[in-house]
Amino acid sequence: MPISEAHVGRSYPATAPYQVSRAKITEFAAALGDADNPAYTGESPVAPPTFAVVLSSAAWAAMFDDPDLGLALSRTVHVDQEFAWSRPLRAGDEVVAVLTIDKVRSRGASAIIGISVQLSTTGGEDVCTAASTLMHTAEEAA
Amino acid sequence: MTAIEATEGQDLPGFSRLLTRVDLVRYAGASTDYNPIHYSDTAAAALGLPGVIAHGMLTMGTALRLVTDWAGDPGRVLSYQVRFTRPVVVDAVDGARLEVAGRVSKVEDGVATVTLEVTCEGQKVLGAATAEVRLD
Repeated sequence: MPISEAHVGRSYPATAPYQVSRAKITEFAAALGDADNPAYTGESPVAPPTFAVVLSSAAWAAMFDDPDLGLALSRTVHVDQEFAWSRPLRAGDEVVAVLTIDKVRSRGASAIIGISVQLSTTGGEDVCTAASTLMHTAEEAA
Repeated sequence: MTAIEATEGQDLPGFSRLLTRVDLVRYAGASTDYNPIHYSDTAAAALGLPGVIAHGMLTMGTALRLVTDWAGDPGRVLSYQVRFTRPVVVDAVDGARLEVAGRVSKVEDGVATVTLEVTCEGQKVLGAATAEVRLD
Protein backbone atom coordinates (compact mmCIF):
# COMPACT_ATOMS: atom_id res chain seq x y z
CA MET A 1 0.00 0.00 0.00
CA PRO A 2 1.51 3.33 -0.99
CA ILE A 3 1.16 6.38 1.20
CA SER A 4 -2.35 7.85 1.16
CA GLU A 5 -4.69 10.22 2.95
CA ALA A 6 -5.35 7.36 5.38
CA HIS A 7 -1.90 7.93 6.92
CA VAL A 8 -2.60 11.50 7.99
CA GLY A 9 -2.16 11.79 11.75
CA ARG A 10 0.35 8.95 11.97
CA SER A 11 3.12 9.74 14.41
CA TYR A 12 6.33 7.86 15.14
CA PRO A 13 8.05 7.10 18.44
CA ALA A 14 10.56 9.73 19.55
CA THR A 15 14.07 9.34 18.15
CA ALA A 16 16.81 8.13 20.48
CA PRO A 17 18.06 11.01 22.68
CA TYR A 18 20.72 12.97 20.80
CA GLN A 19 23.26 15.01 22.68
CA VAL A 20 24.31 18.21 20.90
CA SER A 21 28.10 18.47 21.13
CA ARG A 22 30.52 21.32 20.59
CA ALA A 23 32.31 19.22 17.96
CA LYS A 24 29.12 18.67 15.95
CA ILE A 25 28.23 22.37 16.18
CA THR A 26 31.70 23.24 14.83
CA GLU A 27 31.33 20.68 12.04
CA PHE A 28 27.87 21.92 11.08
CA ALA A 29 28.86 25.60 11.11
CA ALA A 30 31.88 24.78 8.92
CA ALA A 31 29.62 22.91 6.48
CA LEU A 32 27.50 26.07 6.21
CA GLY A 33 30.64 28.12 5.51
CA ASP A 34 30.04 29.91 8.81
CA ALA A 35 32.81 28.58 11.05
CA ASP A 36 33.92 32.10 12.03
CA ASN A 37 30.73 33.16 13.82
CA PRO A 38 31.82 33.42 17.50
CA ALA A 39 28.38 32.21 18.64
CA TYR A 40 29.24 28.76 17.30
CA THR A 41 32.61 28.47 19.06
CA GLY A 42 33.98 28.67 22.59
CA GLU A 43 32.96 26.96 25.80
CA SER A 44 29.17 27.13 25.48
CA PRO A 45 28.24 27.61 21.84
CA VAL A 46 24.75 27.66 20.36
CA ALA A 47 24.07 25.64 17.22
CA PRO A 48 23.34 27.34 13.89
CA PRO A 49 19.52 27.57 13.67
CA THR A 50 19.24 25.04 10.84
CA PHE A 51 21.21 22.49 12.93
CA ALA A 52 17.68 21.28 13.73
CA VAL A 53 17.93 19.34 10.45
CA VAL A 54 20.31 16.86 12.12
CA LEU A 55 17.50 15.92 14.48
CA SER A 56 14.70 16.12 11.94
CA SER A 57 16.51 13.87 9.48
CA ALA A 58 16.77 11.23 12.21
CA ALA A 59 13.01 11.54 12.62
CA TRP A 60 12.49 11.31 8.84
CA ALA A 61 14.20 7.90 8.93
CA ALA A 62 11.30 6.45 10.94
CA MET A 63 8.84 7.49 8.24
CA PHE A 64 11.03 6.34 5.34
CA ASP A 65 11.51 2.97 7.09
CA ASP A 66 7.75 2.51 7.58
CA PRO A 67 6.88 -0.44 5.30
CA ASP A 68 3.24 0.72 5.05
CA LEU A 69 4.19 3.83 3.11
CA GLY A 70 6.57 2.55 0.41
CA LEU A 71 8.69 5.70 0.45
CA ALA A 72 12.29 6.09 -0.76
CA LEU A 73 14.47 9.10 -0.03
CA SER A 74 16.02 8.91 -3.50
CA ARG A 75 12.57 9.48 -5.07
CA THR A 76 11.74 12.38 -2.80
CA VAL A 77 11.98 16.07 -3.59
CA HIS A 78 12.00 18.61 -0.77
CA VAL A 79 9.42 21.25 -1.76
CA ASP A 80 9.50 23.60 1.19
CA GLN A 81 10.79 23.89 4.73
CA GLU A 82 9.81 25.93 7.74
CA PHE A 83 11.37 26.20 11.19
CA ALA A 84 9.99 27.89 14.29
CA TRP A 85 12.29 28.06 17.31
CA SER A 86 11.45 28.65 20.95
CA ARG A 87 15.15 28.85 21.74
CA PRO A 88 18.48 27.95 20.12
CA LEU A 89 19.98 24.50 20.56
CA ARG A 90 23.06 24.55 22.79
CA ALA A 91 25.98 22.23 23.34
CA GLY A 92 24.94 19.74 26.00
CA ASP A 93 21.24 19.72 25.11
CA GLU A 94 19.78 16.24 24.93
CA VAL A 95 17.10 16.28 22.27
CA VAL A 96 14.43 13.97 20.87
CA ALA A 97 12.35 14.42 17.73
CA VAL A 98 8.83 13.22 16.94
CA LEU A 99 7.53 13.17 13.37
CA THR A 100 3.84 13.45 12.50
CA ILE A 101 2.29 13.14 9.05
CA ASP A 102 0.04 16.20 8.73
CA LYS A 103 -1.17 16.02 5.17
CA VAL A 104 -1.13 13.69 2.18
CA ARG A 105 -2.42 14.44 -1.28
CA SER A 106 -1.83 11.63 -3.73
CA ARG A 107 -2.36 11.74 -7.44
CA GLY A 108 -1.35 8.69 -9.46
CA ALA A 109 2.21 7.72 -8.60
CA SER A 110 3.02 10.98 -6.85
CA ALA A 111 2.13 12.20 -3.43
CA ILE A 112 2.55 15.55 -1.74
CA ILE A 113 3.31 14.90 1.91
CA GLY A 114 3.24 17.46 4.71
CA ILE A 115 5.12 16.49 7.85
CA SER A 116 6.12 18.20 11.05
CA VAL A 117 8.90 17.29 13.42
CA GLN A 118 8.74 18.48 17.01
CA LEU A 119 12.12 18.82 18.73
CA SER A 120 12.20 18.90 22.50
CA THR A 121 14.73 18.26 25.23
CA THR A 122 14.56 15.03 27.19
CA GLY A 123 13.44 17.31 30.04
CA GLY A 124 10.29 18.12 28.04
CA GLU A 125 11.18 21.64 26.87
CA ASP A 126 10.02 22.48 23.33
CA VAL A 127 12.87 23.75 21.18
CA CYS A 128 11.81 23.78 17.56
CA THR A 129 9.15 22.72 15.10
CA ALA A 130 10.41 21.78 11.64
CA ALA A 131 7.68 21.44 9.01
CA SER A 132 8.32 20.18 5.50
CA THR A 133 6.47 19.52 2.30
CA LEU A 134 7.83 16.60 0.29
CA MET A 135 6.93 15.35 -3.15
CA HIS A 136 7.32 11.62 -3.55
CA THR A 137 7.12 9.62 -6.74
CA ALA A 138 6.46 5.91 -6.39
CA GLU A 139 8.39 3.47 -8.54
CA GLU A 140 6.61 2.92 -11.83
CA ALA A 141 4.51 -0.21 -11.90
CA ALA A 142 5.84 -2.83 -14.30
CA MET B 1 21.99 42.31 24.85
CA THR B 2 21.45 45.58 23.02
CA ALA B 3 18.43 45.89 20.79
CA ILE B 4 18.99 46.03 17.05
CA GLU B 5 17.54 48.73 14.85
CA ALA B 6 15.47 47.79 11.85
CA THR B 7 13.50 49.87 9.38
CA GLU B 8 11.11 48.60 6.75
CA GLY B 9 12.80 48.59 3.37
CA GLN B 10 16.32 48.48 4.88
CA ASP B 11 18.77 46.54 2.71
CA LEU B 12 21.06 44.20 4.66
CA PRO B 13 24.64 43.39 3.63
CA GLY B 14 24.66 40.53 1.12
CA PHE B 15 27.33 37.96 0.36
CA SER B 16 28.13 35.19 -2.07
CA ARG B 17 29.39 31.67 -1.54
CA LEU B 18 30.98 29.28 -4.01
CA LEU B 19 29.71 25.74 -3.41
CA THR B 20 31.87 22.87 -4.62
CA ARG B 21 31.27 19.13 -4.58
CA VAL B 22 33.49 18.93 -1.49
CA ASP B 23 31.09 21.30 0.27
CA LEU B 24 28.20 18.98 -0.59
CA VAL B 25 30.01 15.97 0.85
CA ARG B 26 30.89 17.97 3.95
CA TYR B 27 27.26 19.02 4.38
CA ALA B 28 26.05 15.44 3.79
CA GLY B 29 28.22 14.32 6.69
CA ALA B 30 27.33 17.23 8.95
CA SER B 31 23.59 16.99 8.34
CA THR B 32 23.45 13.18 7.92
CA ASP B 33 21.55 13.61 4.64
CA TYR B 34 23.21 11.04 2.37
CA ASN B 35 20.77 11.21 -0.53
CA PRO B 36 23.08 10.24 -3.45
CA ILE B 37 21.68 12.96 -5.75
CA HIS B 38 24.00 15.27 -3.79
CA TYR B 39 27.21 13.45 -4.76
CA SER B 40 26.51 10.95 -7.55
CA ASP B 41 25.93 12.08 -11.13
CA THR B 42 24.37 8.67 -11.85
CA ALA B 43 21.80 9.08 -9.07
CA ALA B 44 21.06 12.65 -10.14
CA ALA B 45 20.56 11.60 -13.78
CA ALA B 46 18.20 8.80 -12.72
CA LEU B 47 15.91 11.49 -11.27
CA GLY B 48 16.15 13.52 -14.47
CA LEU B 49 18.42 16.17 -12.94
CA PRO B 50 21.09 17.82 -15.10
CA GLY B 51 23.76 16.93 -12.52
CA VAL B 52 24.54 16.68 -8.84
CA ILE B 53 22.53 19.27 -6.92
CA ALA B 54 23.14 20.97 -3.59
CA HIS B 55 21.02 19.93 -0.62
CA GLY B 56 18.13 22.37 -0.40
CA MET B 57 18.93 22.60 3.30
CA LEU B 58 22.51 23.61 2.51
CA THR B 59 21.28 26.52 0.40
CA MET B 60 18.72 27.39 3.08
CA GLY B 61 21.27 27.22 5.90
CA THR B 62 23.91 29.14 3.97
CA ALA B 63 21.49 31.97 3.14
CA LEU B 64 20.47 32.42 6.79
CA ARG B 65 24.00 33.68 7.52
CA LEU B 66 22.87 37.05 6.13
CA VAL B 67 20.32 37.19 8.95
CA THR B 68 22.52 35.84 11.75
CA ASP B 69 25.41 38.16 10.80
CA TRP B 70 23.04 41.11 10.99
CA ALA B 71 21.26 39.97 14.16
CA GLY B 72 24.54 39.21 15.95
CA ASP B 73 23.01 36.50 18.13
CA PRO B 74 21.63 33.52 16.14
CA GLY B 75 19.23 32.97 19.06
CA ARG B 76 17.25 36.00 17.87
CA VAL B 77 15.98 34.06 14.87
CA LEU B 78 12.40 33.01 15.65
CA SER B 79 11.39 31.39 12.39
CA TYR B 80 12.64 30.74 8.88
CA GLN B 81 10.87 29.38 5.86
CA VAL B 82 11.69 28.79 2.21
CA ARG B 83 10.40 27.07 -0.90
CA PHE B 84 12.94 25.16 -2.94
CA THR B 85 11.99 26.52 -6.34
CA ARG B 86 14.96 25.55 -8.49
CA PRO B 87 17.78 23.04 -7.93
CA VAL B 88 21.32 24.38 -7.54
CA VAL B 89 23.37 22.28 -9.96
CA VAL B 90 26.96 22.01 -8.71
CA ASP B 91 29.42 21.51 -11.54
CA ALA B 92 32.18 18.96 -10.83
CA VAL B 93 34.87 21.48 -11.75
CA ASP B 94 33.43 24.98 -11.38
CA GLY B 95 30.94 24.41 -8.55
CA ALA B 96 28.05 26.85 -8.23
CA ARG B 97 27.98 30.35 -6.79
CA LEU B 98 25.12 31.40 -4.52
CA GLU B 99 24.33 35.10 -4.25
CA VAL B 100 22.42 36.12 -1.15
CA ALA B 101 20.65 39.46 -0.68
CA GLY B 102 18.18 40.49 2.00
CA ARG B 103 15.92 43.28 3.07
CA VAL B 104 13.80 44.08 6.10
CA SER B 105 10.27 43.69 4.74
CA LYS B 106 8.31 44.28 7.94
CA VAL B 107 8.82 45.51 11.49
CA GLU B 108 6.06 44.84 13.98
CA ASP B 109 5.86 44.23 17.74
CA GLY B 110 9.62 44.04 18.16
CA VAL B 111 10.02 41.50 15.38
CA ALA B 112 11.61 42.17 11.99
CA THR B 113 10.81 40.04 8.97
CA VAL B 114 13.74 39.67 6.60
CA THR B 115 13.02 38.63 3.02
CA LEU B 116 15.93 36.86 1.37
CA GLU B 117 16.69 36.66 -2.31
CA VAL B 118 18.97 33.76 -3.19
CA THR B 119 20.12 33.31 -6.77
CA CYS B 120 22.52 31.13 -8.73
CA GLU B 121 23.58 32.29 -12.18
CA GLY B 122 20.97 35.02 -12.03
CA GLN B 123 18.06 32.69 -11.30
CA LYS B 124 16.15 32.52 -8.05
CA VAL B 125 16.68 29.21 -6.26
CA LEU B 126 14.62 29.89 -3.12
CA GLY B 127 11.10 31.26 -3.12
CA ALA B 128 9.23 33.05 -0.34
CA ALA B 129 12.35 32.96 1.83
CA THR B 130 11.64 34.86 5.03
CA ALA B 131 13.04 34.87 8.54
CA GLU B 132 11.63 36.50 11.65
CA VAL B 133 14.11 38.14 14.02
CA ARG B 134 13.52 39.34 17.57
CA LEU B 135 14.87 42.89 17.90
CA ASP B 136 14.94 43.53 21.67
